[in-house]
Amino acid sequence: MTPAASFAALAAANTSTTGCSERQVVWQSGKVKLYRYRPTARPAASAPLLIVYALVNRPYMMDLQEDRSLIRGLLSEGLDVYLIDWGYPDGADRFTTLADYIDEHLAGCVEQVLQAHRLSDLNMLGVCQGGVLSLCFSALYPQRVKNLITMVTPVDFHSPADLLSKWARHIDVAAFVGAGNVSGDVLNQLFLSLMPFRLTQQKYVDLVAEPPDRAGLENFMRVEQWIFDSPDQAGAAFREFVTWFYQENRLAQNRLEIAGRKVDLHSLRVPILNLIGKRDHLVPPAASLALRGLVGSKDYTALEFDLGHIGMYISARAQHEVPASIAKWLASR
Amino acid sequence: MQPDPWQQWQAFSALFTPAAPAGSARNGASSFAPFADLTERFNAAARTYLNGAANGSMPAVAAAARGFSESLRELFGDMPWNLGAGSADGGASPLSALQSPALGATRESQLRAQRITDAWRRVDEAQRRLQRLAADALREAAVAFAAKLAAASPPAPSTEALHKLYGAWIDCAEDAYARAAHGEAFCSALAEYVNASSAWRNELQASIEHSAKLLDLPARSEINSLTQRLRAVESELRGLREARRANAKTPEPKAAKPKRARRKAKR
Repeated sequence: MTPAASFAALAAANTSTTGCSERQVVWQSGKVKLYRYRPTARPAASAPLLIVYALVNRPYMMDLQEDRSLIRGLLSEGLDVYLIDWGYPDGADRFTTLADYIDEHLAGCVEQVLQAHRLSDLNMLGVCQGGVLSLCFSALYPQRVKNLITMVTPVDFHSPADLLSKWARHIDVAAFVGAGNVSGDVLNQLFLSLMPFRLTQQKYVDLVAEPPDRAGLENFMRVEQWIFDSPDQAGAAFREFVTWFYQENRLAQNRLEIAGRKVDLHSLRVPILNLIGKRDHLVPPAASLALRGLVGSKDYTALEFDLGHIGMYISARAQHEVPASIAKWLASR
Repeated sequence: MQPDPWQQWQAFSALFTPAAPAGSARNGASSFAPFADLTERFNAAARTYLNGAANGSMPAVAAAARGFSESLRELFGDMPWNLGAGSADGGASPLSALQSPALGATRESQLRAQRITDAWRRVDEAQRRLQRLAADALREAAVAFAAKLAAASPPAPSTEALHKLYGAWIDCAEDAYARAAHGEAFCSALAEYVNASSAWRNELQASIEHSAKLLDLPARSEINSLTQRLRAVESELRGLREARRANAKTPEPKAAKPKRARRKAKR
């Protein structure tokens, strides 16, 4: 591709669409939407799989494009996939708490899926911060979760390599949040500051120096769009999350309470699959691996992939390995 | 014949800087301009290094390597910590006149203005502290990069060689930055910067809110108060609905059998 053609392709990719699998909204509560994906293969699991994504980014990363879609991979394995989209919180959501997210929105989505399938429990896949919410939900509503999968999920927030946690520990979170929401753009700056030379310089210089083909440029722009399409965070929930998890490490120390109820990971007995990125700079492996020693489940499996945080969803290698691992693990339970 | 690597690398970057004056991409209108600019400046520094190291003598190679790494340190010096701090005069504020005693009818306004000024000064100091630590990390990176260059023969100029040099510099910079960023001094400086910025924003908000009230405009605190009330009403409503559902599910006590009762009554 000539430089002029590369430039044109990059400019055209500015308006790229995201999400490639057919889906429909099956339930909505405020800004939260529950999607069900159209099955594409013979059903393989007895219970549907609900994906609980993080609050800090948009969930379309799970279904970015045809050849980079965790959801597409799960569908092709015969799983019945649901996904929660938390939406974009605005000023009216500033007092929304973690209890609201877990007891109302997440619990509401779970009830909807269970009613639709006439089941008493489902399979849950929590991604990153969504994995933390899933762990809390599973501990609070153990009868509702059949199998729990956590993916790039921090549990011990004070592991030595956790730079975000080190930075967060001295911050006055109450003053930072104030009475408002937390800007997604500000959070983005923080995430970029974890590896500033690679994330704010090198990847663009690489693009200039060795422009990829048209498909590569479009892929670059989709990821770029996802990285900077960061929702603002509901102030109260953000303050609780940073204080309770990053600063006080309550989940790992078994002293977390949500709306006055203890989140006791020791009481968690469901089968657990823990998926970890060995090169994850946001959630260091040790932060996830700590889960094993904290849960009461006898059926615990950890799978480590030689991938980074984002690579766990969209790398070519992840497409081959991650959905198949999940499906195989679920099929044997 | 291989195309000139300098021109090849610059050709693509030039596309992204349509408004740049000849010979410089610095003022390009495109959002890509800073990266194209960086590429161009990196090219220039790398070319100087390769030309300087061309004669192959060890002192010349080492001197060229040091020069290259120093130029990179300067090139990256204002990134990514160029947060838009105030004056470079060590913190003297043009608003220092506001530090006089607050007296008279405008006393409260003066105090508000002073608090905002003080809060900004704190932000400025915190940012300088952070920048000093970042500059230290870059200095470490430059030393490591110079050592890496001196340990190997200079490559022949090619696009691939340039790209590798750039990658090697980024590796050194990230390693040095990571060491600093994990350190207590950096964590504490960053926290102070965030906390100072929060304090400044909160003072500013309070001042603007005060002005809004004077003009009888809706203020954020009023909207927050209404939002909280609405949440309380919603919560109460949810509780009532749940209670009603729970009542509906509770089986009613079995009704008495009227006929038998009547029969007993007759007896």
